[in-house]
Amino acid sequence: MGASPQHGARLSDPATTELHVPAVLGSLTAIAHFVRAVAVAAGLDRGAAYRLRLAVDELATNIVTHGYRGGEGRITVLGRAGAGRARIVLEDAAPEFDPVAGCLPPATDLPPERRRIGGLGIHLALTSVDEFGYVRREGRNISTLTVLAGPRPQR
Amino acid sequence: MPLSVSLSIEGDTTVIELAGELDANTAPDFHQTIEKAAGHGTSTVEIRMAGVGYMASAGLRSLVFAQQKVAAHVTIKVVGAIEPVSRTIRTAGLDRSIVLSDE
Repeated sequence: MGASPQHGARLSDPATTELHVPAVLGSLTAIAHFVRAVAVAAGLDRGAAYRLRLAVDELATNIVTHGYRGGEGRITVLGRAGAGRARIVLEDAAPEFDPVAGCLPPATDLPPERRRIGGLGIHLALTSVDEFGYVRREGRNISTLTVLAGPRPQR
Repeated sequence: MPLSVSLSIEGDTTVIELAGELDANTAPDFHQTIEKAAGHGTSTVEIRMAGVGYMASAGLRSLVFAQQKVAAHVTIKVVGAIEPVSRTIRTAGLDRSIVLSDE
């Protein structure tokens, strides 16, 4: 997982699109539609588009359930489609949370009934993207996710 | 996209058929159906997922819940999952205890 050159940057390119949604699970569908449009504009194949959606969905779910903890809040989603590259920036004002630090790989050696699933969503997100960056700035968590067209990254 | 969930019994198999998208918003419906299925006492719970175009970790959580709810001798099968969905199941290591089947 390489660091993005625009690590956590607010996108100012004219091609950038924005979505502002309340931090509730009901917003996941709108976020998915937004991400799909960015993926299509970037020319991502189905597999890459799926990876991008999964990553954004997992992080957004985490913001709703663990970041704001069901309280009021908003999520800003920025998208930019380049040639063969789609980038999504997620911003929230919940307490500081660095997904890389919070990533827990699945405990595959444990039987299912003893399995801790918390953290797995973050693991899925981080292993689905080609580049990931996080920064805490002005009281906001800013995660930048980039997926390139082409096969899934090998890890 | 909403999730549709149906439950039926075919012989000694409880069949859950899912269609749509399985994320944190829709997974509670699946969760409730698993709870009902676990009470049927059949030897197999078959989860047909060919109609599921997307699954997030919330779906994995439901599958783990299913494993926790059924008796030890009950087989849980996931049938017909598309490649990205079965890959997510494998990433979580659930293919070690759940039977993944193409048909």
